[in-house]
Amino acid sequence: MAFGLIGRVVGTKPSRLSTAARLIPARWTSTGSEAQSKASSGGGGENLKTFQIYRWNPDNPGKPELQDYKIDLKDCGPMVLDALIKIKNEMDPSLTFRRSCREGICGSCAMNIDGCNGLACLTKIECGSKETTITPLPHMFVIKDLVVDMTNFYNQYKSIEPWLKRKTPASVPGKEILQSKKDRAKLDGMYECILCACCSTSCPSYWWNPESYLGPAALLHANRWISDSRDEYTKERLEAIDDEFKLYRCHTILNCARACPKGLNPGKQITHIKQLQQSG
Amino acid sequence: MGASKLSGMQKQVLSLYRGFLRAARSKPTEDRKRIEMIVSTEFRHNSKEVDRKNFQYIEYLLRLGTKQLDQLKSPDIVSLSSVKVVASKT
Repeated sequence: MAFGLIGRVVGTKPSRLSTAARLIPARWTSTGSEAQSKASSGGGGENLKTFQIYRWNPDNPGKPELQDYKIDLKDCGPMVLDALIKIKNEMDPSLTFRRSCREGICGSCAMNIDGCNGLACLTKIECGSKETTITPLPHMFVIKDLVVDMTNFYNQYKSIEPWLKRKTPASVPGKEILQSKKDRAKLDGMYECILCACCSTSCPSYWWNPESYLGPAALLHANRWISDSRDEYTKERLEAIDDEFKLYRCHTILNCARACPKGLNPGKQITHIKQLQQSG
Repeated sequence: MGASKLSGMQKQVLSLYRGFLRAARSKPTEDRKRIEMIVSTEFRHNSKEVDRKNFQYIEYLLRLGTKQLDQLKSPDIVSLSSVKVVASKT
């Protein structure tokens, strides 16, 4: 993301870093005013893009609607999250969405952008005059605007017991349990998951059975603990998810691998669990 | 009695109300009255104000109520209290 900013207004970046230590409200306004002052000194001509954003307010409940906002791409950052922050700063402060790290590591800003699930801070705004539609993660209960209810998703993650479980104590008590580099390499592609829920909410099987099917994210983490050489409860973990609904609702649709903003492949990990179930 | 045949959603609302009253019974007497008062005012207010066909909002309120009930059921929670907020249009 940093590379994209080199050609653009470099002035905005230092201001962001300096205001990072201050309160969040101060941070909102400083980015907007900096960008505006830079834009006025830049060349003429606007580059307007329309964003259609899903709005629903529980305080004035009616039907949810897509509201249009026009943004000048010349004084806005390259990512969708920059556009959302600009809209919230300057046009409509009531727009509600989750965000935190703005660098694709926290997973808070997961939403559906132009039909594809992804992180708003990592999705570039598509150039051109086509309208961009931003809606919350599909088939999730909406709390307000783009904020969805993630409790079911987190409970499913909790249900696979994502911690190290051992029967025998460590060989050297008080010291870490040793693991070879080869065994550690088995965890690559699973430990990077940030629990953004993009994969689970892109899976049609998860849409139709959200309460009983665990979903690609939880199963990816289940495989992470099953494949961990330090964990001694492998058999029990496999038995716990050896269920018609928890695991076998997966029909290798593989929408999860397409949606993952970190480039992981939950479908592959689920296939690995299924193979272990077969052989075990 | 009320309606002759209650719809699924109406049954959910009633069972949530009953759940709240049962949870209130397990709390000390003074708090119990306060919980019952708050819950009954909230439910009566919503039953008058909310349109019967606004399913999305009713489901939203049901989910919110179920979460609050789960919190209330925990033995550490002593009582409920409510504050009246007047939304300003600025």
